[in-house]
Amino acid sequence: MEQQGSIEGAVLSLTDVAFGYPGEGEVLHGVDLELAAGERVAIVGESGSGKSTLLHLAAGLEAADRGKVHLTGKALAGLDEAARTRLRRSRVGIVFQSFHLIPTLTVLENVMLPLELATDLDAAQRRERAARQLAAVGLGDKGGREPEQLSGGEQQRVAIARALVHRPALILADEPTGNLDSRTGEAVFGLLLEQVRATGCALLLVTHCDDLAGRLDRVLRMQDGHLQDLAAEASAT
Amino acid sequence: MNSLLVKAWLRDWRRRPLQRLLTLVGVVIAVAVVLAVDLANQSAQRAFDRSMDEVAGTATHQILGPARGFDEAHYRDLRLAGWRDTAPIVEGPARLPDGRTIYVLGVDPLAEGPFRGAASDIGDAPVQRLVTEPGTILPPSGWWAGSGMAHEDGLTLETTAGRFEVTLLDRAAERDEPAVEADDEGGSLWVTDIATAQTLLGRPGRLDRIDVRLDDADIDGFAELLPDGLELVPVAARDQASRELAQAFRINLTAMSLLALLIAAFLIYNTQTFAVLRRREVLASLRLVGAGRRALFGVVMLEALLVGVIGTLLGVLVGMGLAQVLVGQVAQTVTDHFFVVAVTEVTPRPLALLAVIALGVGLSLLAALAPAWEAARAASPGSLGRGRLERRARRGLRGLAVAAVVLLAAGGVMLLLGTGGLVGSFVALFLLITGFVLLLPLVLAGVLRGLARLGRGRTLPRIGVRSLERSLSRSAPATSALTLALAAAISVSVMVGSFRDSVEQWLGQALTSDVYVVPVAPAAARSGARLPADWGETLARIAEAESVSTGSSQDTPSAVGMIDLYVVEPHPVWLDYLPLLRAEATGEALDRRLRETDAVLVTEPFAAHHDVGVGDRLEIRVDDGRRMFEVAGVYRDYGSPQGTVLMLGERFYAGTAGAEEVGSFGLRLPDDVDAGAVIERLEAWLAERETAAMVTRPGDIEQESMAIFDRTFAITHLLRVITLLVAFIAILGALMALQMERAREFATLRSLGLLPGGVRGLVVFQGAVLGGFAALAAIPLGLGMGWLLIEVINREAFGWGMDLRWPGREIAETVVLGVGAALLAALIPAWRMARMRLVPALREVP
Repeated sequence: MEQQGSIEGAVLSLTDVAFGYPGEGEVLHGVDLELAAGERVAIVGESGSGKSTLLHLAAGLEAADRGKVHLTGKALAGLDEAARTRLRRSRVGIVFQSFHLIPTLTVLENVMLPLELATDLDAAQRRERAARQLAAVGLGDKGGREPEQLSGGEQQRVAIARALVHRPALILADEPTGNLDSRTGEAVFGLLLEQVRATGCALLLVTHCDDLAGRLDRVLRMQDGHLQDLAAEASAT
Repeated sequence: MNSLLVKAWLRDWRRRPLQRLLTLVGVVIAVAVVLAVDLANQSAQRAFDRSMDEVAGTATHQILGPARGFDEAHYRDLRLAGWRDTAPIVEGPARLPDGRTIYVLGVDPLAEGPFRGAASDIGDAPVQRLVTEPGTILPPSGWWAGSGMAHEDGLTLETTAGRFEVTLLDRAAERDEPAVEADDEGGSLWVTDIATAQTLLGRPGRLDRIDVRLDDADIDGFAELLPDGLELVPVAARDQASRELAQAFRINLTAMSLLALLIAAFLIYNTQTFAVLRRREVLASLRLVGAGRRALFGVVMLEALLVGVIGTLLGVLVGMGLAQVLVGQVAQTVTDHFFVVAVTEVTPRPLALLAVIALGVGLSLLAALAPAWEAARAASPGSLGRGRLERRARRGLRGLAVAAVVLLAAGGVMLLLGTGGLVGSFVALFLLITGFVLLLPLVLAGVLRGLARLGRGRTLPRIGVRSLERSLSRSAPATSALTLALAAAISVSVMVGSFRDSVEQWLGQALTSDVYVVPVAPAAARSGARLPADWGETLARIAEAESVSTGSSQDTPSAVGMIDLYVVEPHPVWLDYLPLLRAEATGEALDRRLRETDAVLVTEPFAAHHDVGVGDRLEIRVDDGRRMFEVAGVYRDYGSPQGTVLMLGERFYAGTAGAEEVGSFGLRLPDDVDAGAVIERLEAWLAERETAAMVTRPGDIEQESMAIFDRTFAITHLLRVITLLVAFIAILGALMALQMERAREFATLRSLGLLPGGVRGLVVFQGAVLGGFAALAAIPLGLGMGWLLIEVINREAFGWGMDLRWPGREIAETVVLGVGAALLAALIPAWRMARMRLVPALREVP
């Protein structure tokens, strides 16, 4: 089976991946990336360099034009939309720059959502686990509020709780501090790292900020659709 | 206005053509329905007026005599006495070889000059030939086109007097003019010379009436000249009742079209507000680059004007097409109930066109006013946020509720006071409907909140319900539109269903004979058709009948104007079958009262129209002149919307020789007689007489009556379908708007793991919630409207009472229809949402 072999043990693997938006030409050219379990990797780069696109491909939100994407050993290329969705909801948690909380649900319900979609837990168990996760990000007392009633930093903490609550193997974070002031951003970033470490999942984070990126295990730079490993380049020079 | 500003705003048409199309469709349908009904009404009205005028002409009065007609010598005497503005008339139905019925108008072309256009031009060769050549007749000019006949062809006409060969004359052919297009609106009126008409209709030497033109000063002197048995009646009194009833029918139709307009207004409002709100980021950006409030307001209104103008122009085209369908049905209804009219062309009146254009454009501008104002007065781009607008909409609910209570109270008071007649009743009904509809958003908000509470712990249904609640400005008008349409469907079902049941039941009671012998004539002209009264004995012998009844309808003068008098020689124990509503006695006592004293029974519509009841006295002209009759009872009858007075033959002919002609014979057969064999024997006997008479059974009459009934209400069913279509588009537009606004949310849900099927399910669930709410809200509204239509408006318009039928099946159908329409409308947005690309949707500005 394909999931065996070189990608065995990798949470995420991209091999020679290319992608372009219709009418816009290719954005990613032959990207290779491998992420081990528990590994925390940052991707930096300029706006429009393809960082977020890489994240979308990793989540199965877009399909690669060329190359292979494996998520926890499973090739995405062979999966239809529904199967990709099932894989994503069980193995991946996503943190967006603009939070993407569901405004029609309370904070607690937002956190319960992945459990309802991805697990067989009953309502009481879902509620209990979501409350615990919410408490872990410091918002145990705000479960009954609506997202609009929270500050930006609090909303992003809810998003982190929601991304982690169903114990995914991989967290994909797209500029998680991009919409926050520097102090709040720092705090949220610290919380994200702490939670990722606590749950043992891998993290692929896209950011503009070299300082934040430097605190992760590995930093990759996306430039003109190519991915470069900065540490490897530095050791080579 | 800045052209870039206009471009920035209007380019959205290219980006979202479907949304703009829906906006246009709303205007198109609203304009089309209102224009079509108006056109159909106006065209039928013109045909009706023309037919009435062709028959009555410009006469101010008519001289009427006994139903069998009067001696033509009276006319000669008048002319000799110097009264030149007089014209004799013999009229009645006849049948063409193809089975169609026509109306023969026998005139004296030499005397017609001041009266009618049809046969007044004596210099015209065919008109001259009418006088000089017996058996010649002028068909209406519109008849020739589809007839396959030509000028001077022979044709066989069948009347109750027998079969006759006539020669057809065509004015156009005689003058060498091109054939006339089939646009003649008096299409059933065939003009001939009076002598020919007397032969055709079996009235040798007799006249049905004399038309007269009199100055007010001459009236009294003229009336004194008339011999006993003849009476001078103003023309207005003769056709007033028919005109009023035809008007009542038209008001009913106009009300239906206004209901469709009200629903379409919701649709236009919904799509226009969405069109503005959808582009609030464009508005925000324009504000940021310095566009002023007035400029933004102007650009939004300019778009509304464009939508209004384009939609209205298209609506006018669609409306003209729809009118062609409606006009036939309206004309048929008028023909069935009031007078023979034929309409083949709809001609828009410039004023009506202007009114409908103002309506379409005005409605579009009005609907855009609120969002344009909202867009312009927003202090900052941020204040245009969806949530803020929705919060404002929610705050406005109380104001709406207060307005609703005021309207409901006003409508209720108007109904209780009964002011304003039929129009007043409709205004009250519309106030009540509008009040109810204005209450709906508040109720919907409460229901959605309740459902959200119930759904605690079930995340997805909760998302569905709460997003509906958060988009109340969108979901409430759409739900109101669907509620209105469904309520209209229920109310029409209640009214038509109750009416139909009552008519069926009445027919079962009224048709007490086993076999009928009747003249061949359309329903509206049947009262003018006659059979020889002396047939009775022969028919009874041939049929071996237990008893024979006769009945004759005739227009006769009375203290309350011209009335429809039904003179009967009934079967024994006939009163056991008559659905009496109120009477001073019953059974044999009432029978004796009607036979031995001057007493009559009146139908429910007659009692309502003339405000008479049991014990009231009416002066009615009978065979030997006017006498006073006492109303001994009121009975249910759906035979004539004008109402009828029922009188026994022995009272009508008291002191005279008795009936020479009757309108119909009813034969009651013994149980062991084979009705089929009797009919065959009767038909054989009739065939020998070569008269336009036929044998029918109660079942046939019931069938014909119910067919007329169903034709009458076919147009209401058609309007109901159109109304539902508008509501369907409204709910489709609302759901699409809702889903497009929530695209980012759906994309988030999808990225969190909701399957495409789950998205479809969520959208369809929302449709079901809105449809279910609309259907449930429509039940009380529809039942209330139905009750008002039956008990208030129908009584006001026609005077008919009927038993309210509980429309269980129709309610169930409506619930299914409402939820079904909403589900169907949800399918397109569900499909779109499930297929959308996630990344662009995730990037959308919240």
